[in-house]
Amino acid sequence: MDGSMVVNSLAAVLIVTSLLVTAASDTARAARLYAVQSLVLVAIFVALAVAHGAEELYLWAASAFVTKVILVPMIMLRALPSLSPQDDLPGVLKPAWLVLAAALIVGLSCYAVSSVHIALVEPLKPALGISLGHFLFGLVCIVTQRSILKQIFGFCLMENGSHLTLALLAYKAPEIVEIGVATDAVFAVIIMVVLVRRIQRTLQSLDVKQLTALKG
Amino acid sequence: MNHADLLSVLLLVPLATSVLCLASRLFGSAAHVVARALHAIGITALLALTIVVVIEVAAAGEVAAFGSWVRVDSLGAIFVGLIGVIGFLTGLYSIGYMNHELASSEVDAGQLCNYYGIFNLFIFTMLLAATANNIIAMWVAIEATTLASTFLVGFYGQRSSLEAAWKYIVICTVGVAFGLYGVVLVYSNGAGVLPHTADAAFWTHLLAHADVLDPTLVKLAFVFVLIGFGTKAGFFPMHAWLPDAHSEAPSPTSALLSAVLLNCALLVVVRFYMLAAASIGPAFPQTLMIVFGLLSIAVAAFFIIVQRNMKRLLAYSSVENMGLIALAFGIGGPLGVFAALLHTINHSLAKALLFCGSGNVLLRYGTPDLDAVKGLLRVAPLTAVLLGAGALALAGVPPFNVFVSEFMIVTAGIHANHTWLMVVTLLLLTVVLAGLVRMAAGMLFGPAPEAVPKAETGVLTLLPMAILLVLMVVMGVRAPTGLVSLVDNATQIVLSGAAAHEARVAQAHQAAVEQNAIPPAPTTALAGRQ
Repeated sequence: MDGSMVVNSLAAVLIVTSLLVTAASDTARAARLYAVQSLVLVAIFVALAVAHGAEELYLWAASAFVTKVILVPMIMLRALPSLSPQDDLPGVLKPAWLVLAAALIVGLSCYAVSSVHIALVEPLKPALGISLGHFLFGLVCIVTQRSILKQIFGFCLMENGSHLTLALLAYKAPEIVEIGVATDAVFAVIIMVVLVRRIQRTLQSLDVKQLTALKG
Repeated sequence: MNHADLLSVLLLVPLATSVLCLASRLFGSAAHVVARALHAIGITALLALTIVVVIEVAAAGEVAAFGSWVRVDSLGAIFVGLIGVIGFLTGLYSIGYMNHELASSEVDAGQLCNYYGIFNLFIFTMLLAATANNIIAMWVAIEATTLASTFLVGFYGQRSSLEAAWKYIVICTVGVAFGLYGVVLVYSNGAGVLPHTADAAFWTHLLAHADVLDPTLVKLAFVFVLIGFGTKAGFFPMHAWLPDAHSEAPSPTSALLSAVLLNCALLVVVRFYMLAAASIGPAFPQTLMIVFGLLSIAVAAFFIIVQRNMKRLLAYSSVENMGLIALAFGIGGPLGVFAALLHTINHSLAKALLFCGSGNVLLRYGTPDLDAVKGLLRVAPLTAVLLGAGALALAGVPPFNVFVSEFMIVTAGIHANHTWLMVVTLLLLTVVLAGLVRMAAGMLFGPAPEAVPKAETGVLTLLPMAILLVLMVVMGVRAPTGLVSLVDNATQIVLSGAAAHEARVAQAHQAAVEQNAIPPAPTTALAGRQ
C-alpha cells in the first residue's frame, strides 16, 4: 500500500468518525469520538509527511494532537458537569438519514474536485473530495442537532475538514499560519462553550428551539 | 518613526489598551475609573496613529512591515482611517453611554472593565484584518473579529442578547470557514505556479502573478470567499446574524459592528474580487457582486418598511447599504468603484451617528420599540435634531454625503448600460427612504410619554453625534481634496486587476492579428468590457 492509498483510506475513516460524532447519543460520547477522529486526522498528517517528505507536516500533526485530540475534547468534557442529563437532546435525523446525507455530500464533493488539476494532489483526489465533504457534513451536524453544545461539534467537523484540505493543498504555508488556524479553532471552541454555559444558566436549557425569541 | 515601527505601534496600542483595561479590575473600587481613563487614552492614540498612517500612505503610496505580512495601501488606508475615526467616536460615546449604564446599575464596575477591554480587542482584530497582506492571516483576522466581539453582542446577558450572541458566533464562524476554503484554494493554486512557493500566501504577489492562476480554481475560490466573508459583510442570504447582533449589542458596539466590522469583511471580498478580475477578467466577479448586492437591497428594503424596532431597522439598513456597495463594485469602472468606496465611508459615518442616536433613545425610553418612542423633540431636542438629520442623510437626502455617493452609483450604473437595474435600485431606495422618514417622524413628533424624563443624555453622548453630522455635511457639500485623492488612488488600485487582464487580452489579440489568425477587432469591443 503506497502513501497516497494510506491517506485516502484514512480519509474514508475520517468521514465514518464524523457520522459517529453526529449520531452520538450524548455529548460525552461525542467528545470522545471527536478525539478519535482527530487522532485519525493526525495520522493523515503523518502519512502525508512521509508520502511528500514534508517535514512541516510533522509540526502540523503535533499541533493537531495537542489542540484537537487533547484540548478540544477536554474543554467539551469539562463543560459537562454543570449540565443535567436532560440537556443531552437527541439530533433530529435518524442515523440512516445521516448515512445517506454523508454519502450524497461526499459523492458530490468528489465530483466537484474531479475537475481540479493540481499535479501534487492528483493521487490524493479521493482524500481531497472527502475533506470537502467532511467540511460540508459539519454543516449538516450543526443544523440537525437540538443541543447547542452538540452544535459545537459541527463547527469542529467543519474545521477538521478545512484543516485536511489545508494539509493536502497548502502544507508549505508558513508554520505560523497553521498554528494561527489551530489556535483560532481552540479559542472558538472555548468561547462557544463559555457562551453555552451562560445560555444554560439563563435559559435552564440547551435546546436550540428555545433560541427563537428574535425574529423579523 | 519608520513604517515598520509605525504599523507595530498602530497594532500594539489597541491590544495593550485591551489588556490594561481588562487588568484594571485589580484596582478594586477605582477599577472603572482606571479602565475609563485607559480606554480614553487608547482611543485617542488610535485616532492619532491612524491619521499618521493615512498621511504616510498618501505621501508614500503604501507602508509595510514584518516582511510585508502587514501592509497598508491607499485602499487599506480608507478602512484603517475608518477604524480610527469611528473607533474613536464610538469609543468616546461608549464612555458617556456606559456612565449611564453604571449609574442605573445595568452593569457593574467589573463588567465595565470587560467592556472597554473587549472593545479595544475588537478594534485590534479589525485593524489586523485591514492591514493583513497574507491571505491566510486575513482569514485568521476576520475570524478573530467574531471571537473578540461575541461577548460584546451578548454583553447584557439577557435571554435575547445571549440568543443573538449564539447566532452571531455560529453563523459567522461557519460562514467564515467557507472563506478559509476559498483562501486555501487560492494559496494552493499560487503555490504550484508562483516562482517562490512562500510568496503564494501574499496577496500582492498573487495579484502580480494572477495571469498564471488556474481559472477554474479562481472562480471556485471567489464563490467560497464571497459566501464566506460575505456572511460577515452582511450580504443576503447570509445576513441572518446581523439584525439580531446589531439590535442586542450595546449601542456603541452596534455602531462599531455596522460602521466598521462589515467594511473589514468587505475589504477582504474586494481583495479577492481584484484577484479574480486580474486572473479571469471582471465579468464573473462583477456579476456575482451585482446579484448579491441587488438581492441584499431588495430584501433589506422590505424589512425596513415593516420594522417596528429601531435598532433592527438600522441593522437592515446596513444590509441594504452593503448591498449597494456590492452593487457599485459589480457595476465596476472608475465611477462605479469610486462610488463604492465613497459610499463605504459615507455609510459608516451615517450609521455610527444613528446607532449612537439609538443609544440615547434607549437611555431615555428604555426601549427601541417605535410604537413607544414618541415626542423625542420634547424629551431631548438635541438628540432629536441629530437623529432626525442623520436619518434623512441615511435616506439619501441632499445636502448630506449619502446622497452624493448614491447619486454616483446610479450614474455609474446608467453609464455602464445597467439602466433597468438602476430603475429597480431607485425604486428600492425610495422604499428605504420611506421607511427611514417614517421612523424619524414617528419618533420625533407626537406627545412624549409621561414617564420619560425630559433631559438630554449628556455631552459625551451628544458630541460624537454632532461631530459625525458635521463630517457628513462636509462630505456631502465639499469632501476634502486629500480624501478624494486617497479614494481616487484606491479606485486605481481596485481597477488595476481588471486593467492587467484587459492588457493581456489585448496583447493576445494583437499577437493573433499579427499572425493573421483572426481579423482586427474594433477597439471599442475591448474597452467596453470594463
